Amino acid sequence: MTASSTPRRLLELAGLAALLGFAGAAAASNERATTSGAAIYRTGILSSGQPLQAEREGGIHVLGGAAACINCHRRSGLGMKEGRRTIPPIAGSYLFHPRAGTEDDLDLPFVEGMKGDRDPYTETTLPRAIRTGIGADGNPLSYLMPRYALDDAEMSELVAYLKTLSPGAVPGVTDTVLHFATIITPDADPVKRQGMLEVLEKFFADKNRFTRAISPRLRSSHRLMYQVNRHWELHVWQLTGSPDTWQAQLHAKLAAQPVFAVLSGLGGRTWEPVHRFCEQESLPCLFPNLDLPVVAERDFDSLYLSQGVLLEARLMSGELQAMRAKTPLRRVVQVYRVGDVGAAAAEALEDSLAEEGVTIVKKGLSAGRNLATAFRDVAPDDVLVLWLRADDVARLGAPPAGVSQVLISGQMSGLEQAPLPAQWRAVTSMTYPFDLPDKRRVRVDFPLGWFRIRQIPVVAQQVQVDTWLVCGIVSDTLNRMVDTFVRDYLVERVEETLEHRAVTGYYPRLALAPGQRFASKGGYVVRFAGPSGAHVVADGDWIVP
Amino acid sequence: MGVRHSCLAAFAASCALALSAQASPAVTRSTVEYAVPAVTLVRDDGKRVSLPQEMDDGRPVVLNFVFTSCSSICPLMSQVFGEFRRKLGSDAGQVHLMSISTDPEQDTPTRLSEYARQFGAGADWQHYTGTLQASLTAQRAFDVYRGDKMSHAPVTLMRAAPGKPWRRIDGFVTPDELLDEYRQVLAAK
Repeated sequence: MTASSTPRRLLELAGLAALLGFAGAAAASNERATTSGAAIYRTGILSSGQPLQAEREGGIHVLGGAAACINCHRRSGLGMKEGRRTIPPIAGSYLFHPRAGTEDDLDLPFVEGMKGDRDPYTETTLPRAIRTGIGADGNPLSYLMPRYALDDAEMSELVAYLKTLSPGAVPGVTDTVLHFATIITPDADPVKRQGMLEVLEKFFADKNRFTRAISPRLRSSHRLMYQVNRHWELHVWQLTGSPDTWQAQLHAKLAAQPVFAVLSGLGGRTWEPVHRFCEQESLPCLFPNLDLPVVAERDFDSLYLSQGVLLEARLMSGELQAMRAKTPLRRVVQVYRVGDVGAAAAEALEDSLAEEGVTIVKKGLSAGRNLATAFRDVAPDDVLVLWLRADDVARLGAPPAGVSQVLISGQMSGLEQAPLPAQWRAVTSMTYPFDLPDKRRVRVDFPLGWFRIRQIPVVAQQVQVDTWLVCGIVSDTLNRMVDTFVRDYLVERVEETLEHRAVTGYYPRLALAPGQRFASKGGYVVRFAGPSGAHVVADGDWIVP
Repeated sequence: MGVRHSCLAAFAASCALALSAQASPAVTRSTVEYAVPAVTLVRDDGKRVSLPQEMDDGRPVVLNFVFTSCSSICPLMSQVFGEFRRKLGSDAGQVHLMSISTDPEQDTPTRLSEYARQFGAGADWQHYTGTLQASLTAQRAFDVYRGDKMSHAPVTLMRAAPGKPWRRIDGFVTPDELLDEYRQVLAAK
């Protein structure tokens, strides 16, 4: 198992340590220790460059990334719950807090597995626990806890880092308000934008309807957890200009208005600068509405509902390989608009077929160029792949003579609402990275009823239902976190609990786990049932390509 | 399904786990008969296979359930399998080690074979994925399903030969203990 941290972060920490050097040698040395400790914790690499070594019961040896603390105690240091097993928090404040007479005396945010009735760890007992597996109370720790071979300097580095993990004041969280942002890129579809914002605004208004103006600060008591009912405030971060300016805009917006997390959002051709911004700021960026998310599974802060058109490219690749098993596949012609997300999808499909001996032709049309130009030299036994939006699909005209196999992206063209002309329907299969309309009806009726009661016009159903779904996921997760507002912990809790959701909107199932960044992993291949209308029929079962 | 291990045993196992957060949980052993469900799984080499056929090739079977994104107990269980295999030495080819994914939508054959490589799996230790339904059917048949993949518990199952009962080990065992258990099961054959 590799730790999900990136070396870049450690370099940033190192850079920070270098800057702080001006503040004095002691501070700098402390920062250096913390940086080395972070490397041990997150990647299992010692400051000597050697891998961290440890041993478990039964002589089982663990090494490097597999031995890193982050695997079980998570990036937040707040531990996790796995079935009946609870991995305790090891953030400094949870290790060193004085023994509490009652849980009421325990002035720490509630985390599963925290222990109030235990002697605090000391400079002696903590290294002993890490090296020999004997806890502060003298009892052995769980069999899951390895016994680490760390020298004194390495131990101090690790302990220095554990101390920095303690939850403290979090930007974007006050005693009375939780601040969220939603990010919209300038090239986002204006209709989807309006639809998404209406859902977000109504959800926040609902959430705040019962919030008192000022809540007193409450604490957990005897496991009856009183939660401060904070007002939820939404900040719409509308980006402008070209993508290379977005990161700077976002850093400025965050500095002007700190937020706890980024919720939903809407992108167009690229989301990369937003993804990078969230990683740099360690800011959770939860489930934006995108056709083309950023695939970087070693990154931490961004979670996505699915891989969008990249998932469709894999579904198409599977279809093409199945076709090829039956009949020779001479050539695949992919048509997309230059500058739209279809370009990246076409490239992904081409890459996936690189070793299959299939000729792939990519026809990228610049905006405004007539679609017919892409079909001029298409031969009858070519397979056509269309990465086109609804407006292009409506203007397709007649299919090229003799073509009998066409694949189209449902995500881009509007799913069952795609205005695919009748002549194309007989020869076209659509990748459909959602549950089928009949199967999702009950799950989608609930948000649609919610929209109706609140008089939200349904202008972009899938985006609006996804937005509502994401608000629910974040709201439920925060409720379970009580008042432990730690950004990494929010991401970790979503990873661990998403699978329990029964209400999953357009998706048959949503699930994540440590290191997983895409919640829905499959789709269908469908065909239109008739020459008109929005009835689609699946060619087979749910496919996870 | 045959005789299930008694509710009392299951209750004792859950109590043992719940009460022993600080120490090694007690390991419970039981002898159980399971009907192997006729599901199709996908092996880590991409081949579609029948679960009963994979289990009934004549060799003893040692089975567990893992998923590749699991960062706490699964790597440990896989390490125990790897070490068990190493300790078997030249006998390793005589036994079929099987690990079935409880997260089949994430665990593609490619991911599984990468995972298997990390733990030194060879031809005699194979990992299996498939549809979500097929994995759930297998998990339920061996009574390891606990509501979702994050709630799994360490369970090891072994059987000397087709038609023989399964030895079920709930809890963490060391490679030596597993080897000992395996030899007992073979001797009982």
